[in-house]
Amino acid sequence: MSTDPRPTKQERRDAARAARIEAEQADAAAGLRRRRLRTLLVVLGAAAVLVVVAIIVSGGSSDSAKSRPAAAQKASGAIPGQKESAEMLAGIPQTGIYLGNPAAPVRVVEFADLQCPFCREYSLQVLPQLVQDYVRSGKVRMEFRNLSFLGKDSVTAGRAAAAAAEQDKLWNFVDVFYFNQGEENSGYVTPSFLQRIEKAAGVDSAKADAFAASPDSQKPLAEADALADQVKVQSTPTILVGKRGGKLTAVQADPTDVGAFKSAIDGVLGQA
Amino acid sequence: MTDRRLRQVAIVLTLIGLAVAAYLTYVHYDGIQPVCGLGGDCEKVQTSEWADLAGVPVALLGLIGYAAILATLFVDREEALVAGALIALVGFGFSAYLTYRELFSIDAICPWCVASAVIMTLLAIIMTARLLRAPTDYRGAIPYVG
Repeated sequence: MSTDPRPTKQERRDAARAARIEAEQADAAAGLRRRRLRTLLVVLGAAAVLVVVAIIVSGGSSDSAKSRPAAAQKASGAIPGQKESAEMLAGIPQTGIYLGNPAAPVRVVEFADLQCPFCREYSLQVLPQLVQDYVRSGKVRMEFRNLSFLGKDSVTAGRAAAAAAEQDKLWNFVDVFYFNQGEENSGYVTPSFLQRIEKAAGVDSAKADAFAASPDSQKPLAEADALADQVKVQSTPTILVGKRGGKLTAVQADPTDVGAFKSAIDGVLGQA
Repeated sequence: MTDRRLRQVAIVLTLIGLAVAAYLTYVHYDGIQPVCGLGGDCEKVQTSEWADLAGVPVALLGLIGYAAILATLFVDREEALVAGALIALVGFGFSAYLTYRELFSIDAICPWCVASAVIMTLLAIIMTARLLRAPTDYRGAIPYVG
């Protein structure tokens, strides 16, 4: 026979309270778990949406990699345009302001200002196709005449371009420059900006700086101005096409109209 | 593993990730080639079309992401748990996509990028575990004692 006393009223009340508190804590913990699971689902959904948006914005498709205008808009890497320019010009001979086979039957002369936005459009959208179709095959020799009428930044850029031409890297320099073209006459053509362009174009910056600072770097700009007056260049870019040693004619076309430039070259090639 | 330990591990991983992303951001803006061992081709990856997102280098985005995760680890609020998990999961998803591009589109591997992807994967796991298991309900800014 048990001799334990029955729980007192107070003890029964304490036990009931403890059980109630325990049940409330268990409910609270279960509620917290449920809420956090719901939160996790929302977080996972939001993360998935954000990742999909990021992938779409990054726009990575192998087709766009082949499109130079698209590449110009999102040129990447250490220095924008470095890769694209190197690919376009790889293996093509350069001498001073000239690009391509010296014995090519057709000449294409470009008058451009490095700050001119339409020249940029021509250089990034039309030039690669012309280089691929005509210069690489030895049919066309190109010539770049650097005008510097848009302002102080044009002159600074033009003298640096002349220095690149001294190292037979003018076309690389010009192309990378257009990829990185800034706001007109905003003072963006600084020594550090030029060093980045030169580095991407494979130009020796120390030698280029020395040449650009010398009076000799002004001569190609003056020659281009004089020639532009002679052939009555009215705007930039002006592209002249003609037979080697023959008369040059300006192509009247939108600077992004590849077909028009190809037709003009094909026409001269047909006569050559 | 206690939440306190998870948080300590996350802090260490985030600091390593910060260092990797800071290095890649530095070499991007300085125009130098990253040190690239293990037969990788970091320059090819870093100059690929996937090296930036809307004009912002992905290395810089990584740096910002790691800094944001680190900040959440020092804030004792429920919102910080949620934000930390969200950033880590987004980082994990985008890192996985970039690794896929390295392997199947660029045909080159950047060991630094792979290291960052691994770190982000571990952080996504840890931050998700913390979101589910952190012992205290932070709502109302209850001091964190985990």
